[in-house]
Amino acid sequence: MTYYSGKDGTLTYNGSQVAKVSNWSISSTVDALETTVLTESDRSYVPGLRTISGSATVFYYDSAPVSLLERVVKATVVSESDILVIKLGWGIKYIQGNCIITSAELSCAVGEVMQASIQFQFTGAPTGVAL
Amino acid sequence: MSTAGPDFPQLVPTARSMSPGDFANKVFRSQSGIESRVQYGNKASNKTMDLEYSNITETDAAAIHDHYLACNGTLYYFGLPQKPKSGNETFSVNDGSESTSNRFSSTPFGMRYRYAEPPQFNSVKSGRMSVTVKLIGVLDS
Repeated sequence: MTYYSGKDGTLTYNGSQVAKVSNWSISSTVDALETTVLTESDRSYVPGLRTISGSATVFYYDSAPVSLLERVVKATVVSESDILVIKLGWGIKYIQGNCIITSAELSCAVGEVMQASIQFQFTGAPTGVAL
Repeated sequence: MSTAGPDFPQLVPTARSMSPGDFANKVFRSQSGIESRVQYGNKASNKTMDLEYSNITETDAAAIHDHYLACNGTLYYFGLPQKPKSGNETFSVNDGSESTSNRFSSTPFGMRYRYAEPPQFNSVKSGRMSVTVKLIGVLDS
């Protein structure tokens, strides 16, 4: 029996581990397509499309978050070459998939360590899951 | 007399809307504003029935598509069986008869249904489609 905590968490992109990750989260949802017909008294559904998205916060230590930020914050247009393989790990467990960085936010405030927040969207099914 | 096609597939719809049509009549309005109405027939016509099928299987959607083709599109009339009319049993009773209480049926006034326009097929996801069907009741001699 093992508990997991923040010290077990990792975030890697294209095989490289991102340093100074403060937190990450991931969410998976499935659309419920309604199939209720006129003669039924209870709603019925079938599973529809799945959406997996997540977010992460990285302290701006040296250039730790740059590789993620530069997929969105750059002079050139965002293209399919900016799709990353992101792997969220905890211990030996992980969720991995092809992702598009959908949001990159930098914040700098008095009395706080500068940090970058990113949000990402999985494209396609996860390429690896070990829960 | 036009040709009869096969009955509509036995599929319970997600939603249904019906307008009972109207009796043929003409209104004569004088300059004083008085109206006189003349009825030209004892049968209502232009009854419409819209059927919506949400997120049905491709097999069921194909059945509607093939039925439309079997009816030569909007050309042939056809019967509407029990399931497309089900769900409001006290509103439309005596379903198998030609009684006027069979309100969803096209038969009480000697009418038959035909497609008012080609059905619309929307692909929702793999294996699932939504279909909208618009029918119109036609008086048949």
